[in-house]
Amino acid sequence: MGAGAKYIDHIVIASNDSAATAKLFAEHFDIEIKRTMSRPGTRAHLEFAKLQEIVLEFAGPGEVQPYDEVKARLGGFVVAVDDIEQAVATVRAAGFPVGDAHPAVQPGAKIASVKAGTGGVPFAFIQYNAIPAEEQKA
Amino acid sequence: MLSKVHHVGVVVKSADEAMKFYRDALGLTVTADRVIEDQGVRGVLLAIGNSEIELLEPTRADTGVARFLETRGEGMHHICFESDDVDRELEAARAKGIELIDQKPREGLAGMICFLHPKSNHGVLIEFATPIAGGH
Repeated sequence: MGAGAKYIDHIVIASNDSAATAKLFAEHFDIEIKRTMSRPGTRAHLEFAKLQEIVLEFAGPGEVQPYDEVKARLGGFVVAVDDIEQAVATVRAAGFPVGDAHPAVQPGAKIASVKAGTGGVPFAFIQYNAIPAEEQKA
Repeated sequence: MLSKVHHVGVVVKSADEAMKFYRDALGLTVTADRVIEDQGVRGVLLAIGNSEIELLEPTRADTGVARFLETRGEGMHHICFESDDVDRELEAARAKGIELIDQKPREGLAGMICFLHPKSNHGVLIEFATPIAGGH
């Protein structure tokens, strides 16, 4: 049964100029950038595209320096689960180090990172609707 | 047109070791596992939702995947976008001036595939794939 991994929720593409990388991907691959945001509490600038269930998250600094060259890399992926506590417990029981589930940036969601054993991939689980609305307001 | 992410490619030292996480702990199903001799890699595909995770283990030292592993270590290697016509995507990329690794599609684990040079995509390696009916 495993951890109940449902689908890849998003793939992070880290860039020193996320807006430029998102624009390049939009031009090269005819994908639509649906949303841009600054991550609350940070100076990160994020842009998002979606292909079916998977979001491409272009992540970079809020203030872009005059780099000679825009550089990007694949920065990990996040897998959706229905029950993040069960996913964390299952993966821990299999011997992998996993952080505790905690509130994610996405409203109502919880996220937990796997620290090793993923083949070098920054990897996390996410569960949407994990935090009741009344708790989110508290 | 590009319809979805077909898979994400992950270079690993040992596919067997990585499968302890992706197959055994996550519970993903292996849909393909074979050595591609001319590429010098063992490729393992694991289904997740409408996409897959591709584990790539070098089987020879003189390949791009082996060089990636040697210089960068294990980690994410590429994103593969699925299309119903990889030839058309390749020509469209060429027309846009995108530098190509493969000048024409070839057979790979995901079907008919081609790679675009990361230089043209801010350093990110991109693959296009058109699955072959009854493939894997």
